[in-house]
Amino acid sequence: MDTIISIELGTNAVRVYAFDLKGQVLAFAKGAYPTFHPFPDYSEQDPEQIFITMLFVLKNLLSEKIHPQKYKVVSICFSASMHSLLAVDKHGVPLGPVMTWADSRSKVEARELRNSSISEKIYQVTGTPIHPMSPLVKILWLKTHDKETYRNTVKFMSLKSYIIQQLTGACKIDLSLASATGLLDIHKKVWDTTMLAYAGIQVDQLPDPVAISDTCGKLQHQYRVSLGISADTKILIGSSDGCFATLGAGVWEEDMATVTIEDSAAVRVVGTKVLMDKNQRLFNYVLDDKHYISGGPSNSGGVIFEWFAKQFGDFKEAYDLEACIEDLMTEAAGVEAGSERLLFLPYLLGERAPIWNANARGVFFGININHERKHFARAAIEGILYEMYSIEKMLQNHRNIKRISVNGSFASIPFVTQLIADIFNLPVSASPNASSVSLGAFLLCAAEIGIYKDITEAAKTIKLGEAFKPNKYQNATYQKYYAVFESLSGKLGSDFEALALL
Amino acid sequence: MKQFVLQQGSSPELQLFPDIIEIGSKKNISIQLDSMPVLSYDFLRVYCVLEGKFEWRMQGQQFVVYPGDIVLVLPNQVFGGAKGFLEIGNIAWLYLNVTRPENGNLYWGAWSSLNESERQTIGNIMLLNHTVVRSRVGEAIRIFLALQNELFNHEIGFHTRVHQLMDELLVLVTRQLTKQSSSGRDFPKVFLQLEQRLRENLFHQWSVEEMAATMGMGTTQFNERVKTFTGFTPINYLINIRISESIKLLRKQELTLTDIALDTGFYSSQHFSTTFKKLTGYTPSEFRKKGNAES
Repeated sequence: MDTIISIELGTNAVRVYAFDLKGQVLAFAKGAYPTFHPFPDYSEQDPEQIFITMLFVLKNLLSEKIHPQKYKVVSICFSASMHSLLAVDKHGVPLGPVMTWADSRSKVEARELRNSSISEKIYQVTGTPIHPMSPLVKILWLKTHDKETYRNTVKFMSLKSYIIQQLTGACKIDLSLASATGLLDIHKKVWDTTMLAYAGIQVDQLPDPVAISDTCGKLQHQYRVSLGISADTKILIGSSDGCFATLGAGVWEEDMATVTIEDSAAVRVVGTKVLMDKNQRLFNYVLDDKHYISGGPSNSGGVIFEWFAKQFGDFKEAYDLEACIEDLMTEAAGVEAGSERLLFLPYLLGERAPIWNANARGVFFGININHERKHFARAAIEGILYEMYSIEKMLQNHRNIKRISVNGSFASIPFVTQLIADIFNLPVSASPNASSVSLGAFLLCAAEIGIYKDITEAAKTIKLGEAFKPNKYQNATYQKYYAVFESLSGKLGSDFEALALL
Repeated sequence: MKQFVLQQGSSPELQLFPDIIEIGSKKNISIQLDSMPVLSYDFLRVYCVLEGKFEWRMQGQQFVVYPGDIVLVLPNQVFGGAKGFLEIGNIAWLYLNVTRPENGNLYWGAWSSLNESERQTIGNIMLLNHTVVRSRVGEAIRIFLALQNELFNHEIGFHTRVHQLMDELLVLVTRQLTKQSSSGRDFPKVFLQLEQRLRENLFHQWSVEEMAATMGMGTTQFNERVKTFTGFTPINYLINIRISESIKLLRKQELTLTDIALDTGFYSSQHFSTTFKKLTGYTPSEFRKKGNAES
């Protein structure tokens, strides 16, 4: 029997799934690693720790659950969070930790670039909104603030490129991740010389951009021995987590969008054309030679509600966050739509789409003497979802979206899924699998070995669950509240700036 | 609590308790210059605030303590009043003979009925937490009162009781030290603090008890939470960190394998080599050679 392995290098953990050739999960294991914040705005990870954790988890999964069943590993496919940057010296040794997508130390560089004359050109060529998350902007930061690292860097890598280089020796980056760097011409699918010149780097300082189905050579001998994998196992470079999540959600029609809410969140669509937003608010990432994934990312996902629960929830048992969140959700469900005139702007981590303001802050608005914790809990959930809705509205300018597929731990809580249906006024289905990211990786591998003709056919095999239908009356209420939400979010921009300057 | 001072060598009450260097309680009604200079000693000091508010200074850091707070001063730590004098109020203290030999661990006398591994863990936690204990629960005040009663009244069993109370005080201080940093709400945050501490003291032979205590948890709950959160047992999680740090050191050519093994907390280069190979398929020296070949 054959198995396909997906390795997700996520923000907080590596998740490894083993699928049979029908896409059923045979085994799953995860291993967490930390993010360090040595200074405000810094968000760093240890590349060796991630490598070792990945190896450890993979090895345990194979030796405990796959080898005893005599499964043969056909392919291993990788995915990773976007926007990571790792500077590596001439010996291939990292010059420091990895900067993650959440690292916002380059706020100033991002603002200057966004206000500059070339800002529009950068967006048109790279499809990536200018933001501290972008490796282009991160390199600019290094150039000014860490000259030594900048000078000694022989390669600017993504985390996944580094991990794959450890395993096979190849120095590559898939086009999905490359298109999230702000350095790639997403139309021609090559590194853009103007962007490189702007960052002050040479083309050989970046890994080779390759298709997501590219095989990255063989695992080095010792890893093959240690993992018990044969030389003909294909190592597929794979995609970014966001692109795979969209593929795995089966959102392959023009009238569909996917809402992913994990810690962070995004609304995405698939298409064959780049979506250019005149305010540069939408991203466009390359999936394969025909398809782009477009959409808007938000910082304000499940992590915001977790914050609320940690601060204000009841912990019957120490550290039992899940039970605490469940209780708060039950409380919130008892409050009417609109939380009795209480609104929440969820910008506790600043915000990307649609306002793209790193200085934005959270706000409870409309607090009244009769409000109780349950109102705040409901308002927090509604606020997170209004933000998702505002991204979906941007996409409606380009598409006529009629159906939504949701995935991610927060969005797939039934209470939340129903709220999404009511707020968006659209039927909403949940993805069938625990991880849309890994399912996307499976579909790619399956298409590669000929089970499907191509990924389009593969994507169409995904059967979504029964839809949550929108409640019209609730939607009418939400529409009125959303108007206030949107107005507040727009009005407070200058006050957020003022607060940041204090 | 009545005022008193008992000192080893001059107070007959302490004859049976050679490890108590000094114990006392003082109600200070007027400020006297230099009544509490900032000094270090080679014994362990425990102060408990009974009444009032005090500004003290330890290891260069100033802080304010209130009734019920305990301050633990390790041998050789510099401590005293922020202005060099004792402010108005009421405090109790205990100076205890502990040794801190070359290898850095804290040891105290055979009077204690804590077992060897408990003592080691408590000693380690005290060494790792250079902060003030803020208990404000009055628990410490009760222990000091009981100690005073036992030392002066000599009721039957007092010899054992005094030792028990001293153990109780040390356990209380340690538990409070580990608990005050965590509210029982944010596991990832507290676990990150533990991770940072593990990395700062990677050479140390961490036990699960110590790791759990650092987070203010019992071992059973700690094991479960760590497994759910990280996917690893605490020991395997620690091995992960050890190996990833060793990879960085292996790439620096100047360190020997034995140095790397000990720096990253393995018992020996043999232990390092076996663990490394089990996980990566390479022995540390093969891994180092491979790195050289690539560059």
